[in-house]
Amino acid sequence: MLAVAQLWQPFHEFVFMRRALIGGLVLACSTAPLGVFLILRRMSLIGDAVAHGILPGAALGFWFAGLSLPALTLGGLGAGLSMAGIAAWITRRTGLREDASLAAIYPISLAGGVLILGIAGKRLDLLHLLFGSALAVDGPTLTGMLWVSGFSLIAMACIYKPLLLDTLDPLFLQTVSRLGPLAHGVFLTLVVLNLVIGFQAIGALMVVGLMMLPAAASRFCSRRLPVLMGIAALLGSLSVWLGLLLSFYYSLPSGPAIVLVAGSLYVLCVVFGPVHGLLRRPPLLTSQ
Amino acid sequence: MIHCQALRWGAPGQPLTPAVDFELPKGSLTAVIGANGSGKSSLLKVIAGLQKPLTGKVILDVPRKGSLSFLPQQQHLDRQFPISLQALVAAGFWGSNQSPEIRRDRLKAVLEDWCLKGLEQRPLMALSGGELQRALLARLSLADAPVLLLDEPHAALDELGQSLLWKHLHAWHAEGRTLVVVCHDLAAVRQHIPQTLLIKSSGCVLGPSTALIHQQPHTQVA
Repeated sequence: MLAVAQLWQPFHEFVFMRRALIGGLVLACSTAPLGVFLILRRMSLIGDAVAHGILPGAALGFWFAGLSLPALTLGGLGAGLSMAGIAAWITRRTGLREDASLAAIYPISLAGGVLILGIAGKRLDLLHLLFGSALAVDGPTLTGMLWVSGFSLIAMACIYKPLLLDTLDPLFLQTVSRLGPLAHGVFLTLVVLNLVIGFQAIGALMVVGLMMLPAAASRFCSRRLPVLMGIAALLGSLSVWLGLLLSFYYSLPSGPAIVLVAGSLYVLCVVFGPVHGLLRRPPLLTSQ
Repeated sequence: MIHCQALRWGAPGQPLTPAVDFELPKGSLTAVIGANGSGKSSLLKVIAGLQKPLTGKVILDVPRKGSLSFLPQQQHLDRQFPISLQALVAAGFWGSNQSPEIRRDRLKAVLEDWCLKGLEQRPLMALSGGELQRALLARLSLADAPVLLLDEPHAALDELGQSLLWKHLHAWHAEGRTLVVVCHDLAAVRQHIPQTLLIKSSGCVLGPSTALIHQQPHTQVA
């Protein structure tokens, strides 16, 4: 049982814990709205695909520059964006669904990445890349995370209205405005950006968990979009904080600890959530 | 004015009709009828610029963006989407530069017009098909577009809803807007809509509704 003081003490005492917490919190806040929209756009699994696809870029960056933040970020960003771009292009040209194109592109990208790492001979720890370690967030990475989170929150606020309509009723938006494809493109870019900056911190696959789990859980808590995004950010932040504490006190790997806390919150929401939750009470007649 | 020149549309390589030419004058009210799969909805999408024609072109005398409103069929919508009816309707203000006060009053008036009062805060998933259809029509009427394209506007509407719909269609027609309506209810078309475009795989026929629909046995066309 954790005493109240123990909830703060590690972050007060250790710089690496403080960095991990701040980085995780801002990441949780910026990925929450992205996750909510990914689910609404029926692209829930895209995050996974992109996270895998980032690997060859990061591998190339590692090959040329070693374990340096800008090289890994630029490489991952390049690979992620070109993958999303190629998939979007194939979709537009052939009418095949976007998830199918992405699902076809990402194994190519992933295999390419593993191949590059094999040829390079140097061994970048793949496990570290995929699952990361929040406790290894250094100053520059934290600064990068702050910038990316701030930028993506502002960008999301700017494209919120067109993105909402493009998701709900693309035909309507297309007749009144040309902003639909732009909003779509900016949105995908933000997803890639957040995954790339996140894979430095808690690992590519774990960021996907932080992005999707709170978003999926929030669907059981409200029927209003802005509330959904708020709840998702809150659940994400809670997961980061509790996950880091668990990993600190019980010497657990931080990425999985965070994601498993988020997973437990998801299960709680599935069972007790007021909207569609398994145990919800029948709605009262006056509840509208 | 909507002018179609040597127009062919449909899936690539499979035009639905031979190249057709027709002109829908400004301020006209036209019904589009034809069998399932004859290309009524696709024709509306081609006119709206949502789908490219296979050959030929559609010329409008107004720019498409901002002066054309399209009512899609409601099965396009994700009913699980976490948004309230009012937010859906208010999307009709897209691109308008009215002040917030005027918008608020207009939104209220339009919601009352379409008998949606009291449902403002309902999420989409708690709406019936008819209520959702009226919400989409309310959104359309907020846009004030001179060209209106409606794909099966009467779908899911009950008798009251249908009479509301026809009342508004006639009002819009009287305001001089150009309307194109895809409709399966031939009796209603004959009664309410002066001009009809009949799409057949052999070509299109444009003429007065009373003449066109009278000639066609009901079962063949619907």
